[in-house]
Amino acid sequence: MSEVSDGGAAPTGAGTPPEGWEAPRERWLSTVVSPAFGPRSVLLEVAVRLLVPSVLVFSVFLLVSGHDRPGGGFAGGLVASMAFVLRYIAGGRHELAAGMPLRPNTLLAGGLLLSGITAGLPLFSGGALLEVVKHTAELPVFGKVKFASYLAFEAGVFLIVVGLVLSVVAALGARMEAEEEEARAGRRRRRARSKGGPR
Amino acid sequence: MLLPLIIALHAAAAAVLPPLVRALGARAFLAASAPLVLAAAWALAQAPAVLAGNPAASRLSWVPALGIDLDFRLDALALAMVLLVSGVGAVIFWYSAGYFRRSERGLGRLAATMTLFAGAMLGVVTADNLFALYIFWELTSVTSFLLVGHDDRKEGARRAALQALLTTAGLGLPMLIGFVLLGQAGGTYRISELVASPPGGPAATVALVLVLAGAFAKSAQVPLHYWLPGAMVAPTPVSAYLHAAAMVKGGVYLVARLAPGFADTDPWRALVLAFGLATMLLGGWRALRQDDLKLLLAYGTVSQLGFLMLLGGMGSYTSAVAAEGALLAHGLFKAALFMTVGVIDHQTGTRSIAALTGLRRRMPVLAVAAGAATASMAGLPPLLGFVAKEAALEAFLPGHAGELPTWASVAMLTGIVLASVLTFAYSARFWWGAFAVKPGVEEPRFHRPAAAFVAAPVALGALSLVFGAYPKALDPIAQTYAAAYDDHGAPYHLALWHGLSMPLLLTAVVIAAGAALFHWRAIVERVQEAMPRGPNAEIGYHFAVHAVYAVALSVTRRLQTGSLPAYLGIILATMLALPGVGLVRALVIGDAPLPAGNDLRLWDSPLEALVAVVMAVTAIAALREHRRFAALILLSATGFAIAGLFVLHGAPDLALTLVLVETLTTVILVFVLRRLPATFSVRPPGWPKRLMVLLSGAAGTFVALTLWLATSARTEPPVGASYTGAADEAGGRNLVNTILADFRALDTFGEVVVLATAAVAVALLVLLNRRDRVIDEPAAEAPEAVPGVPGPPADEEGSAR
Repeated sequence: MSEVSDGGAAPTGAGTPPEGWEAPRERWLSTVVSPAFGPRSVLLEVAVRLLVPSVLVFSVFLLVSGHDRPGGGFAGGLVASMAFVLRYIAGGRHELAAGMPLRPNTLLAGGLLLSGITAGLPLFSGGALLEVVKHTAELPVFGKVKFASYLAFEAGVFLIVVGLVLSVVAALGARMEAEEEEARAGRRRRRARSKGGPR
Repeated sequence: MLLPLIIALHAAAAAVLPPLVRALGARAFLAASAPLVLAAAWALAQAPAVLAGNPAASRLSWVPALGIDLDFRLDALALAMVLLVSGVGAVIFWYSAGYFRRSERGLGRLAATMTLFAGAMLGVVTADNLFALYIFWELTSVTSFLLVGHDDRKEGARRAALQALLTTAGLGLPMLIGFVLLGQAGGTYRISELVASPPGGPAATVALVLVLAGAFAKSAQVPLHYWLPGAMVAPTPVSAYLHAAAMVKGGVYLVARLAPGFADTDPWRALVLAFGLATMLLGGWRALRQDDLKLLLAYGTVSQLGFLMLLGGMGSYTSAVAAEGALLAHGLFKAALFMTVGVIDHQTGTRSIAALTGLRRRMPVLAVAAGAATASMAGLPPLLGFVAKEAALEAFLPGHAGELPTWASVAMLTGIVLASVLTFAYSARFWWGAFAVKPGVEEPRFHRPAAAFVAAPVALGALSLVFGAYPKALDPIAQTYAAAYDDHGAPYHLALWHGLSMPLLLTAVVIAAGAALFHWRAIVERVQEAMPRGPNAEIGYHFAVHAVYAVALSVTRRLQTGSLPAYLGIILATMLALPGVGLVRALVIGDAPLPAGNDLRLWDSPLEALVAVVMAVTAIAALREHRRFAALILLSATGFAIAGLFVLHGAPDLALTLVLVETLTTVILVFVLRRLPATFSVRPPGWPKRLMVLLSGAAGTFVALTLWLATSARTEPPVGASYTGAADEAGGRNLVNTILADFRALDTFGEVVVLATAAVAVALLVLLNRRDRVIDEPAAEAPEAVPGVPGPPADEEGSAR
């Protein structure tokens, strides 16, 4: 994408850096980048590249540790979706599409299914709706580990939150960007046509 | 009992059918017919016991406290219906295997929906609880909506599907009210008990009228008949199944089911006979002028449904016998005829009478079988239709029907004879139109149909003949059903020969007049053309739908002004007007005691004061800021400060969530800000501004005051303390999360469902259906997308990714 900021105007002062000085020369993200706001920035791209995996791991940590420490499915889901939002801000909508593990609708459906099944499963063994089954095991490396069915329920919540945020970002962010791009392309076409007309 | 299991088997089969269709193509319909065959075989196995007067029954408890149970009961009427729904249904499924091509769009969905429909219909005819019946009833409406709208790219199909759904399911709602009234009046929701000891009184009368409305809509009675011809856009096997054998019989079935208990309750009989007769005449008259063979059959079905309705609802011994006979006869011949039209359409590519000629020579077997079915429809001996019609004429002979005054039975008999003349004429026109050699028409070129494809209509046509020649085979079913009525000492039997009787004479008149009507069809056509067009029922439907739209639009226009300050103002004003005034009143008359001053502390830790100052400063600054972006940042600073307050009070969980939500909302709002002007529009000082300041100030004061009063008005110990022990027991040390995911998990589940719904709704509102397209664009250079063309449907994409 050669098109860089149309609002920047021509730099006048001698001290101002040249336009596009921030743009990185290496590729840091998985798609050709056209960020959501303003020109490309090497700082942002490198930071996102470094941060996203750790943010995702942290979100899973929040999900798993939720029962004994602050966290849980809702907070974990928010953190995970923040990772995708970061990618979107740094890399634009194609980066968002590339980074999405699944469509938002699939995430929503999967999350609902997971928590619904977890809720209903105890009914079959004669338990109450949403009854929690748990089991503590001694694992070689991790020591004493607790498994409980609410983790599956929380994972469902996690997926739904990620799906919610992604669909809102896709709707309010990416879609608007695409529309703007379409409008810009249309304007360019019209300009080209009117220029070519008289010749 | 096996029945609930068989119904469940239909649902299970529907689940595995789409992949099966992908693997086998249309041949999967053969596998899909397995549950139907099973149901029919099961019903046949039960038949000896049922006919001996021992209905098979079973019960699955569902909501016993409300009288809602899945009761099933197989008696003689249900047996006949199961044989139609599952037996004839299975034949139609076999036929579908030859009818559809593998390339048919959405074939898997069609097969699955048809199987689901078969299961729901089986439930309708065997349910013995009003609520269970209603649920299966509406399931058939929904599946029929999907089936009629199968070709969802055609606007006509979508419109017809919606029309059928709105009519049948829309009038299903008053029927549900009628069911509740009936159950309340009778003290039970079991149909068999209600019919055995029917309740009386005005409530029961109202209930019956409402139930009849639902049954009339389902069975396409005038003036609600318009949806049935419209639904002919469905694929022909669907029409053969839904609109001949199964669904449209639902209303007739319900009337026949309730008639033994309620036929003598006014105004049951008057309504059923009047609407049935009107439907019979109108359907026959309309059928006479159709050019499309399928539409001709559709109007013929309307006419026959009127016939079945008045027989089923009449409520006498002979009419009950006739109703059972006609029910089976109609299921057999109408399904055979629809399938015949399907074969013709499939091979020649047209269903127009004007374009078909000479098919008699090219498809002789089909022509003979269709001839048998047509003769059954026309009521010619020795076919089943004749046997049933004889019984029907007998049922309304003056003097024989003690349930009706003489003038009424004379009127009914005249009407039925007239309608039968029309029926004969359109039957003759059907066979002539489909098979006869018409001079001056170019013969269509086509391939002969495969033998297996023609087998289904031929088999059903043959059955019409077999049962017509040997009606004794069906008589026990009819007798067992009619046993609920007084037989006046001389029970009527289904038979070919009753001696030289009045009905036989009437049949001769019908045949002669019908043949004349067919012979001079050119004149009849001219008369029909010259007749003034009466009020059209379909226009009434469109008028009603349009009125709903218009009202909804005008309400929306008045309520949704689109001004956010106005919405907020209304919300705040309501809050002040209702609870606010209540609070002031309680304070004035002393209902709400002011807390003693000493539990009001300045702060618990001086840090709180710092946070409060930050909050106040950012909030005021946000108010005074004219640039949107700056105002947004200030607002989120307020939010973060509140999170700080939570931390200070020892609620890290809450603080964490708030920080995350605050961050995300800020980011998302920034997306939106791109589309808005950089600054707020400046509001001139004046009354609107003053009012807003006043309102906001009052709302803030109210909230603060309420919080203070409410927290100090506690009389019981806080519930939170008791949770700590329980949380230890549940094995989680984070109390908040243990509550969310364990103690109150059902609440969480509900909220999560709301979240998911909101996500879908927001995306739809913003994108108007175009979200998938944006995400799917693979290349960096966006292709020139055409607006308004939706992306590929998600389900087909899913497997490819």
